[in-house]
Amino acid sequence: MSIGVFEAARSVIKGLIIAVLAIIGAYIGHWAHGAILNDYTPVQPIEFSHEVHAGENEIPCEYCHSWAGRSATAGVPSVETCVGCHKGLTEVRDKPDVVKLFDYWERGEGIPWVKVHDTPDFVHFRHKPHIRGGVECQTCHGPVEEMARVTRRVDLNENLRMPWCIDCHTEEDVANGRDCLTCHY
Amino acid sequence: MSTIRDKLREYRTAGYYTEFEYHWTMAVDLDRCTGCEACVVACQAENNLPIVGEKLMRQGREMKWLRIERYWDGEYPNARLNFIPMLCQHCDEAPCEIACPVFATYHNQDGLNAQVYNRCIGTRTCAVYCPYEVRFFNWFTYTWDEPLEQQLNPDVTVREKGVMEKCTFCVQRINRAKDLARDEDRRVADGEAQPACAQACPTDAIVFGDRNDPESAVSRKLEDPRAYSVLEELNTHPSVVYLKNARKPLAGGADDDHHGDESDSRASREGARPTWERGHDPRSGPALREGETPSLQTQQADTVA
Repeated sequence: MSIGVFEAARSVIKGLIIAVLAIIGAYIGHWAHGAILNDYTPVQPIEFSHEVHAGENEIPCEYCHSWAGRSATAGVPSVETCVGCHKGLTEVRDKPDVVKLFDYWERGEGIPWVKVHDTPDFVHFRHKPHIRGGVECQTCHGPVEEMARVTRRVDLNENLRMPWCIDCHTEEDVANGRDCLTCHY
Repeated sequence: MSTIRDKLREYRTAGYYTEFEYHWTMAVDLDRCTGCEACVVACQAENNLPIVGEKLMRQGREMKWLRIERYWDGEYPNARLNFIPMLCQHCDEAPCEIACPVFATYHNQDGLNAQVYNRCIGTRTCAVYCPYEVRFFNWFTYTWDEPLEQQLNPDVTVREKGVMEKCTFCVQRINRAKDLARDEDRRVADGEAQPACAQACPTDAIVFGDRNDPESAVSRKLEDPRAYSVLEELNTHPSVVYLKNARKPLAGGADDDHHGDESDSRASREGARPTWERGHDPRSGPALREGETPSLQTQQADTVA
C-alpha cells in the first residue's frame, strides 16, 4: 500500500500554510509587544536624569522645554542651555556623563537625543493649546520627575494612541475636539 | 432609537451641517488672473506636493492641488486666452463625501471638505465622483532628492502611497490663525488666515476669508454681479466663487453670447465651460475652414500660447 503523490503534496502544502501563518503571527506579536503593549525606554546618548534635575533640584519643565507654552513643539534644550548651568557646577564636573556633555560642547555638536514620546507624521499634536487649557505635563508624559531614564508608559497613556486622545477630548468637551482636521492635516 | 444604519444615513446626507462656525470661502477674480501660476508654485511648496516627473505626468498621475486651466475665446488669429484656477471647491454638498466608504472625506464645522489621510483606504471613488477633477491619488510613495527634503513643510503630512489627497484650503494656516485668535479670546480677523495661493497671488485675484462675516473682503466680492460658481447646475454649492471675466467681446463674435447678457444665469454658467462647448465645437464641421482638420486647429491655437 502506498500514498498517492497528490495526497502527500496536499499535506505538505497544509503544513507549509500553517508554518507561514505561524511566522506572520510571530512577527505581528513581536511588533505589538514592542510598539503597543509595552513601555518604551530607549537608551539616550547621555544618561540625563530627570529625577535629579526636575525631581531633586525642582527645575520647572518650561525652564528647559521653553517652547511648550508658545508653539507646537515643546523643544529640546540646546547644549548651550545645559552648559550654561554646568559651567558653574564644578562639583559634578567629573561625572562621566557631564564629561560627555562638555565633549559635545567642545566639538560644537548637538546631542542626538532619542525621541520617546513620538506621534506619527499624520498627527499634528500641538503643545500650546494643551498648556493653555491647563493640562499638566505629567498627564501625558507621566511622572517624569521620578524617572532616571524617561519611559513612555503604556498603563498611563496607551502609548499615545488615538482612543486615549479622544477620551480626554470628549470628557473635557474641547471645542472641535473630535473634528479630524483638528489633528490630522 | 437610532440604529447604525440611521446614523450612517444621517452622516451621508449632503450638507450635514446647516450652519458653520466659520464659512471659509475663496473668491477668484478671473479679470485679475494673469495665469502666472505663482499660486500653483506656492501650493506645491506649502503642501509638500511631489514632482511626479515627466513619465507619470504623461500617464495622468500628476499632483497639483491647484492648476490653471486655460480656455480659448474666438478663433485664430482673433483669439483670446482665458485662465481659470481650478482647485477643490469645498462644496457644501459634496459628491465625494457621499461616495467615501470609510468617511475619510467629510464636511467639518468650518465648511471645509476634509480629507483624512490616515483613514483613507484608497478606493479612489471620491475622485470618480468629483466633477471638478481636483482629487489626486498617490500611486507611489514619492521621495525628495537630497537638499529638497529640507524644505518640506513640517505642518503638513507627507502623504504615502495609496491615499487620496486634495486642496485643504491650507488648513494648517487656518488652525494656526484660530489658535492665535483663541489666545486673545476673539474670532479670527479677516485676512489673518490666508492660504498659500492667495498669499502668493501678485494681482490679488484670489481672496480668502470667512463668508459668515459680512464685512470680510470675500463677502464683498460675493456681492459682485459677476460672481458665479463652476458647474452650478450640479447643486454642489461650492465654497470657491469665481468672478467672471468682463472684458470687451471679441470682434469675431465667437463669445458674444457669453459676454452679452450679464444677468443671464445660463451665460454666467457657461463662463466655466471649455471654449468648444460654448462658442463652437471644433469637432463639428461649421467652425472649420476648408481643408483644415480639428487637430491642425488645435496646433494653431497652441502656437499662439
